Amino acid sequence: MTESAPAPPLWRLAGVSKRFHAVRALTSVDVEFRRGEVHALVGENGSGKSTLVKCLAGVHQPDEGTIYRDGSPVTLGHPLAARALGVATIFQEFSLVPTLTVAENVFLGRQPLKRGPWIDWDRMRDETGRALRELGASTDPDAIVRQLSVADQQLAEIAKAISLNSTLLILDEPTAALGLHETDRLLDLVRDLARGGKAILYISHRLDEVFRVADRITILKDGKLAASKPIRDVDMDAVVHMMVGRDIEQHYPKLPAATGRVRLAVRDLSTDEGVDRVSFEVRAGEVLGLGGMVGAGRTEIARALFGLDRVTSGTVELDGVPVSFRRPDEAIAAGIGLVPENRKADGLFFNFEGPRNVTTSDWARVMRGWIFDLSRERAVGRRFVDMLKITPTAMDTTVGFLSGGNQQKVVIARWLHAGPKVLILDEPTQGIDVGAKLDVYGVINDLAAQGVAIVLISSDYPELIAMSDRIAVIREGAVMSILPAEEMTEHRLIAIASGAEATAEVVRARHRRVDA
Amino acid sequence: MRQRLLSSSVVGPFAALILVVIVVSLTTDRFLLPQNLSNVTLQVSIVALAAIGATLVILAGGIDLSPGSVLALSSCTLAILVKNWGWPVELAIPATLLLGALLGLCNGVLSAYLRIPAFVVTLATLTIYRGLAFLITGGTPIFSISPKLRPIFYGSFLGVPLPLYYVLVAFVLAALFLRYTVPGRAIYAVGGNESAARFTGIKVNRTRLLTFVIAGLTAAAAGVLTTARLDSGSPNYGVGLELQAIAAAVIGGASLAGGSGNIIATLFGALIVAVVQNGLNLNAVPASWQQITLGTIILMAVGLDMWRKDLGDALRRLFRRPGQKGSG
Repeated sequence: MTESAPAPPLWRLAGVSKRFHAVRALTSVDVEFRRGEVHALVGENGSGKSTLVKCLAGVHQPDEGTIYRDGSPVTLGHPLAARALGVATIFQEFSLVPTLTVAENVFLGRQPLKRGPWIDWDRMRDETGRALRELGASTDPDAIVRQLSVADQQLAEIAKAISLNSTLLILDEPTAALGLHETDRLLDLVRDLARGGKAILYISHRLDEVFRVADRITILKDGKLAASKPIRDVDMDAVVHMMVGRDIEQHYPKLPAATGRVRLAVRDLSTDEGVDRVSFEVRAGEVLGLGGMVGAGRTEIARALFGLDRVTSGTVELDGVPVSFRRPDEAIAAGIGLVPENRKADGLFFNFEGPRNVTTSDWARVMRGWIFDLSRERAVGRRFVDMLKITPTAMDTTVGFLSGGNQQKVVIARWLHAGPKVLILDEPTQGIDVGAKLDVYGVINDLAAQGVAIVLISSDYPELIAMSDRIAVIREGAVMSILPAEEMTEHRLIAIASGAEATAEVVRARHRRVDA
Repeated sequence: MRQRLLSSSVVGPFAALILVVIVVSLTTDRFLLPQNLSNVTLQVSIVALAAIGATLVILAGGIDLSPGSVLALSSCTLAILVKNWGWPVELAIPATLLLGALLGLCNGVLSAYLRIPAFVVTLATLTIYRGLAFLITGGTPIFSISPKLRPIFYGSFLGVPLPLYYVLVAFVLAALFLRYTVPGRAIYAVGGNESAARFTGIKVNRTRLLTFVIAGLTAAAAGVLTTARLDSGSPNYGVGLELQAIAAAVIGGASLAGGSGNIIATLFGALIVAVVQNGLNLNAVPASWQQITLGTIILMAVGLDMWRKDLGDALRRLFRRPGQKGSG
């Protein structure tokens, strides 16, 4: 620091590492954020982007390494400490209170006071109005947040960040919920804010946007820094390549299944939840993988097929028979099963032991007439405990005491018990250990061999490519392309999913959105 | 699993009941006299019946504040049907029970299908149903309804008061229903995780509705017993029944979050309350202290339940048993 170097960067992370139990989320990452620069942070799902941001925002504390502000080391022990040093974060999930007004939200927890305990409402409104005008927004400071459009909520969120006099603004997937026009406006705004001297950290899955807005790009791969350089020194293809990187060989026991007739045929399926004219077919014994970035609309497709969301247009055929479901019980009765993405919230009954969790999908099989045959129910539980190598304690303890892998196997056993024609697995290996993953792959193989049509959603791309027969890449709720797994590479999947490879369908999907 | 169900959720309240019986019988000789035990049984029968419905609603994750008012409206209806309209008692009682089920149906439709929180719905019907009871009676109790009524409550069979039979039959039926039937299992599933219940195709709304219908039915049954006991119908009956019924469920270990609880334990909960109140009566403790005691019992029962896990963990740490592994 003795030489007359240019002014130190606003923020610098040096050798920052963070681990959660056995998982290394960040390994010795060095990166700098400068005033007046838009700095893009990209990487696959789970590459450590969020962890890095949370270290800067004071949510997590690094296990190793140092964070420098203007060249001096600082400790961010708490989100408030980061905020006091000028870090403002806009997370993917909005942090606005929906029932309060924009002004109340902007000043939440730091309302200006007049003399005594009285809130200075005029000042709150004025300053909020000024911040909003700076953003080119015409939102009323007294509007209730819940009644605003998602785009206006996003702007209110940014107004809040600006009014905090922040010097580093972190935007985590800010355009995820925005339309084309609103996205353009936001990108302009980000450029303006940088020109005004702020440092911007911009996180996005959409490489096309990144290349429009960023000055510098940092690529994370498996928690390690793959590259951090001016954006003019790289092209989109190189970025995708660095995101994918070289993978540790992992064994996927995919068995080729003899595919039969079409079991599930989906045509032009749309919902209000963002599914956009989706069409695909899955044959008996086939695994169709749905690839795409987090939030691309894959779960929404699953929900629509399972009767959880209302279908606004399109048709679904099961074994050649047109079907439509108003509720999941109708989908289940027709032979569709869903292993939900969030097993704790949507899958498990924490007041039930293993057997009672398993049989919920089809009670009729463990009943004698009108009454439960409890010993038959236990026998069913025992069978799946053996078959899926679930810990035997699952027989008698409620499932809250089981590991994530055992819990997931209990949820999967539920659908083996029901014997569906079509099984949708939404992130079935998320957060479970390698051994349990192999068991899940084994189940997928077995079901395919029995002629079940499987829809597999996974953000673990190597797994998705290895375990699927064909892969449909989803982006913004629409199918971008469907390819045989042999023709799909991680590189290509990410390119399509992030918009770097604009297929003809991508262009069409974009146009449709503009029309809408 | 069978043993676990017994050991975990019924033994605790049963042990507490035995403890309370021992303590009360030590404070007064009169407690164990057959006449007194019979009195306690008669007293507890009305609350215990209503507590069946309260427990089912709580198990499914709801709450019912209206049983006291359903009791009053049922009582007045029975009195009017028999005394003013000349219906035979044998017909008027089933009609009254049907009315109770309908009142519960209203609660259920409003909360399960129209999505008004159960607390708010039943708070409203708490006053609406009692208002209706005042409306149809003009506010005056109806006395001397029929000589057939008192024997329903005061009669006995093989030397045992009839209400004991009603209570035992009702609780055994409820226990079998919860343990061995699809709607019974669905009640636990919906209370345990409503979203997971939807994802596995359980009819969540219909299940919730059913619990309210049963709650209306059991509250009306409590109303019939009350009317039979006093041979009169009054809009003032059943005030505070919701508190006693919910207290019985909670003291029996039912979680207000839904999904866990045992119907037989609710019977023990109701008995604990009745025995304590009887003990205080026999020892001539003023009524004000009885209310304070009931509140304290609720706090202690729930507190012990909440801390049980921590207490258990602490004990395990003290006496670490080798070979005991956590599930991985």
